[in-house]
Amino acid sequence: MKTAQTLFAIATLGFAGLAANAADAGDLEVKTVVQKEAEVVAADGSKSVELVAADAVVPGEEVIYTVTFTNVSDKATDNIVISNPIPSQLTYVYGSAFGPGTTITFSVDGGQTFGSPETLVVVDGDVERAATTEDFTNIRWEVQNPLNVGQRGFARFRARLN
Amino acid sequence: MADVTAVPRRIGVLVALVGAISSAGPAQAAGTLAGTDISNTAVVTFDVAGTTVTQDSNTVTLTVAETLDVAVVVQSAQTAVDAGQSGAELLYTVTNTGNGSESFRLDFDNDFIADPAVDFNPVAQTPAIYFDTDGSGDFSPGDTPYSAGVNDPVLAADESVAILIVNDIPAGLNNGDIGRSALLATATTGSGAPGTAFAGQGPGGVDAVVGVSGATQSATGEYVVSEVTLTAVKSAVVADPFGGTQPVPGATITYTIVVDVVGTGTAAGASIADPIPANTTYVANSLQLNSGALTDAVDGDAGELDSSAAPTIVVRLGDVTQASGTQTIQFTVQIQ
Repeated sequence: MKTAQTLFAIATLGFAGLAANAADAGDLEVKTVVQKEAEVVAADGSKSVELVAADAVVPGEEVIYTVTFTNVSDKATDNIVISNPIPSQLTYVYGSAFGPGTTITFSVDGGQTFGSPETLVVVDGDVERAATTEDFTNIRWEVQNPLNVGQRGFARFRARLN
Repeated sequence: MADVTAVPRRIGVLVALVGAISSAGPAQAAGTLAGTDISNTAVVTFDVAGTTVTQDSNTVTLTVAETLDVAVVVQSAQTAVDAGQSGAELLYTVTNTGNGSESFRLDFDNDFIADPAVDFNPVAQTPAIYFDTDGSGDFSPGDTPYSAGVNDPVLAADESVAILIVNDIPAGLNNGDIGRSALLATATTGSGAPGTAFAGQGPGGVDAVVGVSGATQSATGEYVVSEVTLTAVKSAVVADPFGGTQPVPGATITYTIVVDVVGTGTAAGASIADPIPANTTYVANSLQLNSGALTDAVDGDAGELDSSAAPTIVVRLGDVTQASGTQTIQFTVQIQ
């Protein structure tokens, strides 16, 4: 399977190596960050909520994953699909997935099939029931329009540590 | 700009997703275990110049920090004691409700006399805190004394330990008087307002963060003075062989022992022993408890004739309270 081979080859390069890999997969620079909200008190005592690196996360706390993708090639890219697994220790926060100009669908079977939340079902024993966010295993963003040279898009979701 | 043409609108293959989880332990009531690394990699597929390409993002890893949380629960709401009782214990459980291994400092507090509902302060023994080492729930010789800073219990996430506080009850108290004793447990890493962080202090050097319990909690047990008094009143009825009541040889004496329980407590394992009087002989199979016959043999029932030494009637009443009502024992002897 060509895609899987490519995937492993790229994975070893890591983020720092992407820019040098412009011939093929390097056409898109893809970066993921995980952050959490923190209340920041300014010098004047005013408080604001900012995103900070999720260094220490405790059960019950929410984190925010953001995937940014930038077209660093000299050609437009099309049919961009971002897929992100939801780590098993995390539960997706309902309604939190976001991405400008994307169609967002979810999977409850490890990424085999995707659908909108209200269409997803799981089987508990012999009983079929509507899926809940705890059942979600993957999120997929399909970018509706081509990404031109130099353009950037992002996909984001929130999840709570179990 | 849009110089790409004739690109298929949909790619045929969806890439398998990479979701690497390391050191995933069993599900915990307290949440994901401290020190667990959770990695995530997004996968992007796209078409460029007619070719479908798959691209991984970098992998981001977050590490689960330790939550410092503890729950202390007293195992019985009230414990009945006698005034002047030595070594009255209260049983507690201390549970690590955080998500990482943690040691806990224990302490006790007996001073609740300011509460109008409280009549006395129990007097702590030295030492006052014990591990219920033998798991009996009672203070027993095998139980290990606790010494702060020396054998602070180290509990894994969700693990519990049974703790006893051993107090003496002052003399001269009244029936129904109440005293209280609290067990306090505090995470040794630190405690304080929820959210207080201790950088690098968790297992494996992860951060430790105070949870909703403030990493310290106490539970208060209660002693209630429950005096109980057993009174036994014995009476005798003589029947002579001639239809009269003269205590002559051959006459029978029927003894009735009426036992009353008074007070709020329980007389545990109460038993009555009454020797057969000299110069009389026990009449076989005459023993009764509450008008029900008891055999003379040592067997499963509540009483017998104990002939191992001087013949003695023995009746075991068991755990009796005022609610048990009057207990009536009857047996007959014959004058020799």
